[in-house]
Amino acid sequence: MKTRITSIIMVLLAVFITLGGTTSCKSKKRLAKEAAEAEYKSKVEQARNDLTAILDDETLWTLEEKENRVKTIKDWNLQNAEIDDLISQVEKKLARERAQREEEERRAAEEREKANAADVVLGRNFNSIANAGSTSQANRVINETLGMFESPNVPVLIIISQNPGFNDYDRPTTIEKYLNYLKDQKKATEKVHEIKYNANGKINELELIKK
Amino acid sequence: MKKIIATLAFVMCFAGIALAQDELSFERKQAIDSLALEKVRDLSKYIKIVGSKDTPFSEANRVIDRAEELFMSDAEIGVSSIHSNQITYYRVRKYLEHLMRLNYDRVEIEWYNIEYVSDLQRQPDGTYVGVITIFQTFRGYDAEGNLVYKDTTKKDITVYVRRKETQIGGRTIGFWDVLLGDMRVKETTDR
Repeated sequence: MKTRITSIIMVLLAVFITLGGTTSCKSKKRLAKEAAEAEYKSKVEQARNDLTAILDDETLWTLEEKENRVKTIKDWNLQNAEIDDLISQVEKKLARERAQREEEERRAAEEREKANAADVVLGRNFNSIANAGSTSQANRVINETLGMFESPNVPVLIIISQNPGFNDYDRPTTIEKYLNYLKDQKKATEKVHEIKYNANGKINELELIKK
Repeated sequence: MKKIIATLAFVMCFAGIALAQDELSFERKQAIDSLALEKVRDLSKYIKIVGSKDTPFSEANRVIDRAEELFMSDAEIGVSSIHSNQITYYRVRKYLEHLMRLNYDRVEIEWYNIEYVSDLQRQPDGTYVGVITIFQTFRGYDAEGNLVYKDTTKKDITVYVRRKETQIGGRTIGFWDVLLGDMRVKETTDR
């Protein structure tokens, strides 16, 4: 009799443990699921806010920071139609921004290259004119140089002294007169300080400085 | 009495500030001194080109225009000769045209010892005025290459330097306008 009672107790105990364990496991899974759902919702919310802010230009992020943000959101793999649509819009916008940035950088590099090239060419031509062996040789280089300018009347400013906040200049002249001056005086005592261009890439203002 | 002293101190202080604003720094003054000297040196080259029989007529005329721009509108240049005590003054263009047509087959003109005899001094109207002296050696040759005339003339050139402003590309440019005044003959020798 005693053995039987013990057996019954053992069976009941096993049943309780099994039932209790199952219930506890189910609860943990539910909690985990709820946490995952909450995290997903939070990520969706975060992604929506960030993507919308990028689309509406309401962030102070650099282009690189915006691109990194989109990459992070894509890595979340949210599989949400709304977010996927936003990502697509933002990617197109950032692609446009990237292209615009690259175009600006290309133009700036071109301008720098052109300015450097023009600087070198002008300096070389000034010396060629000043040291020309004949008037006709000097005139040939003058005509070649004038081709770089918008017109023969482009103003030429010559800095005679630099002061804090302002410069002192000689009386302004024109490029045609200046080039002839080099020919007449047979000396090139100024170097290029600044060059300005018109929309057609022709020089429309030249600033020189005494060497 | 205290009020008078305070007023005098204020006036002297104000006048001092105003004077300081008018005075140029050493570097700026040096820059305009050099600029004025350079204009005279430029003129010497122009005179040499105009006087040279090798200069084409069109070039000589262009250079006369440039040379004329260096001068004040009413400036005159003195001409002397070792054969006479008379000094004749011509307007700049007239002088240069006369120089271009001199009756020699070859002309050599050299300017040297170009220097200030009177430094640029600020006048009450803000203009800086100075005098630069030059020595000019003139040589005229005939068709056979013989030297037929030679003289050396000491000349004084008054220079005027004014601060002006102009608009270029939408910005105001402050520049120093150097203009040459009369070129007076001081001495002529046959050396």
